[in-house]
Amino acid sequence: MIRRLGAGLAVLWAAATASYVALLLAPGDTVDILIGDGADTPEIRAGIIAEWGLDRPEIVQYLAYLWRLLHGDLGRSYQLQRGVGEVLAGQIGPTVQLTLAAAATGVALAAVIAIGTAGRGRWPRAAASAAELVSVSVPPFLIGIVLLSVFSFTLGWFPVSGAEGPAALVLPALALGLPIAGVLGQVLRGGLERALEQPFAVTARARGLTERALVARHALRHALLPAVTMAGWFTGALLGGAVITEVLFGRPGLGQVAMQAVTSQDMPVVMAVVLLSAVVYVTISTLLDLAYRVIDPRIRS
Amino acid sequence: MKHIIPVLLLALAACGAQPARTAPAATLTWAVETQPVTLNPQLWSQNKARLLVFNQFDALLSKSADGTFQPWLARAWTVSDDGLTYTLDLRDDVTFHDGTAFDAAAVKANLDQFQVPGYNPAVAAIQLRAYDRAEVVAPHRIKITLKEPDALFPDFLASPLAGQVSPKSLKNARDLKFGGPDLVGTGPFILDRYVQGQEIHYRRNPGYAWPPAGAAHQGPAHLSEITYRFLPEAAVRVGALTSGQVQVIEGVPATEVALIAKDPDLTLQTSLNSGTAYAYYFNTSHAPFDDRRVREAFREAVDVDAVLRSVYQGTATRAWSVVGSGSPFYDASLEKSYGGDAAKANALLDAAGWKERDAEGYRVKDGKRLTVREVAAAPFVRDRRDILGQAIQAQVKQNAGIDFQVRIVDQGSAQQAVDDDAYEVFGNSRGDSDAGAALNLILPSDGAINRTRFADPEVDTWLAAASATADQAERKELYARVQRVVVADSAIVFPLYVPADQIAAHRSVQGLGFDPASGTPASAYDVRIAT
Repeated sequence: MIRRLGAGLAVLWAAATASYVALLLAPGDTVDILIGDGADTPEIRAGIIAEWGLDRPEIVQYLAYLWRLLHGDLGRSYQLQRGVGEVLAGQIGPTVQLTLAAAATGVALAAVIAIGTAGRGRWPRAAASAAELVSVSVPPFLIGIVLLSVFSFTLGWFPVSGAEGPAALVLPALALGLPIAGVLGQVLRGGLERALEQPFAVTARARGLTERALVARHALRHALLPAVTMAGWFTGALLGGAVITEVLFGRPGLGQVAMQAVTSQDMPVVMAVVLLSAVVYVTISTLLDLAYRVIDPRIRS
Repeated sequence: MKHIIPVLLLALAACGAQPARTAPAATLTWAVETQPVTLNPQLWSQNKARLLVFNQFDALLSKSADGTFQPWLARAWTVSDDGLTYTLDLRDDVTFHDGTAFDAAAVKANLDQFQVPGYNPAVAAIQLRAYDRAEVVAPHRIKITLKEPDALFPDFLASPLAGQVSPKSLKNARDLKFGGPDLVGTGPFILDRYVQGQEIHYRRNPGYAWPPAGAAHQGPAHLSEITYRFLPEAAVRVGALTSGQVQVIEGVPATEVALIAKDPDLTLQTSLNSGTAYAYYFNTSHAPFDDRRVREAFREAVDVDAVLRSVYQGTATRAWSVVGSGSPFYDASLEKSYGGDAAKANALLDAAGWKERDAEGYRVKDGKRLTVREVAAAPFVRDRRDILGQAIQAQVKQNAGIDFQVRIVDQGSAQQAVDDDAYEVFGNSRGDSDAGAALNLILPSDGAINRTRFADPEVDTWLAAASATADQAERKELYARVQRVVVADSAIVFPLYVPADQIAAHRSVQGLGFDPASGTPASAYDVRIAT
């Protein structure tokens, strides 16, 4: 456990350092970025350099950054004129809501489709497989726009924007969850079908178990292993997809802040988002290792 | 993809029932494209956020469309003959949202705040370059002294930057640089909620009785509440409007205009922005644009009207000068004086020595292809300017054999290209309420964003003279001379179109309009819902 914690911290440090170096190597310097297309005179430059302490050597700025980080201080946003911690704190809630809702939608849809079609006739499988392919290959932006056009602009069932109430969460969660349902559904069905061909399935059938009970009690557990392994990818897809979904639906959230920060090279915010993503990844992969033990008794021994 | 969306919307609208469009009385939801980076008016830098600033704050003066200044929180003012002393008589019936009274001491506190090092270096160096000191002469009279005459100083007094902030909140605001509900002004609306990425919400200031000259009504605002939703995606804004989820939107791209215009329940208004036109500035510091004939040839090779028609579907206004036609300083005599003559373009290039052609049809001189590059920073590429660049690229290739390369890169790489002088074309427009302020940055030999690297002592002198005099007629004449040199005589700039802002709204929403100083949407003060 302690070793895992140490490895986790190392990953975080590496993430912080890598993003710092990447931004350092990016063309143009921070002053240019802060000036943008605004007026550029030596006095303005001097003012900005003094304001952000950019005249210190890079290594000093880096160490100062790490030192502040250890104290829980994420610094101040160049563009948003506020503390990064404060900016992110206000945006985490909506993103957690969105990603959890999307994950639940994705998993539920994948499970229903996979269990409903695994081992069934050719046509239901072909239809499900086509639907999965579409949801995976159509860009999330387009899925979002189509959902909005149909269910918000035309039918008026759901509001387009904001994070107010569950109704506003439905379309963004669907837009973000559908691609996940597609991939997960395929993996899950593949796993189920392989499991149903195993000798243990034949034995179970011979014992008089119905096909449904066989899937639910035995095959699903086997099929879950590859599906759970996908969860790492899944986390990335959710965090990445949140950027597009939040901007499209006008929702507050980390994705929308990250997008703004990257386009304006708002270094403190970008670094904080990278760190936060690393924390989420490390946490999820730890939880996954624990989940394997629960699902697969063979690992426990 | 952008083309697909309106078609899709139309198709879907045709097969589904439209929900009823009802708006509860006196409250309004307005979808805007851009989020403010700060709510502190003294740090304001986005023209797109101007409508928000003047909901919450009032400036000292207001500016009308003809460039003259009108009373606002200052009911009268005088300028000394040497142009160095401004004496402002302030209204004595104004209170800030926190209950404190507005007076000369408040104005002084606001001006002094700009002197705090690191607070707003850009304004200290540009708009307040000439500022010396402010003295409270009487409770409601303030004397501002400048170090040198500055014709642009009244423009500052009428800008969002001069939005008056309660001195108490300047001291106590939890986060001064960002602002928010605890940084208060005297405006017709009180900010009570800001949710980043989602919306900003204001309620009416019931005691408001000091609108600028030129407002359509007196007394408090008509709306009791207004919410601005941030919807950066244009198709989503339009969909939210047509489905009645918001009553007003700003920023209607050319591709969506037809959809709005077709709908009898919606209105569409457009206004040209003040400041400079969107133009290509030619880098005159090295070949090939160090040769005036090549610069002219580039302009002649493009049929601007045809390009604008295809890119903006007839919604764009062609520019003829570096100054936008919405500005009082626009020199209309330049209209139809150049451009669109491919034969002339080829003759000019032949004369300049670019006679041979290579295998791909591009002109060549001394074994070098006639290549010019634009390096644009992605965050500033808006209004389909990337598509516009492609259209121009095709025209100059076809009509004159010029290889025009457009690269859209991150901001740092764009700055690198400037530092290395590795560009030949620089595209830019500026939304300054006084076009002179923009010209002062772009054209003088030491201009802060002089990307043409063009230096003409006469132009420098005229610009300096125009900045020093308050005589509008004299300024207009000086700026006309400047425009004739840079557009006609030296051909260092290729004006393309005049940027514009659009407001689309449900028919019941009235009193919407544009700020005459900037041509961007006005505050919600005069907006009401017809019953």
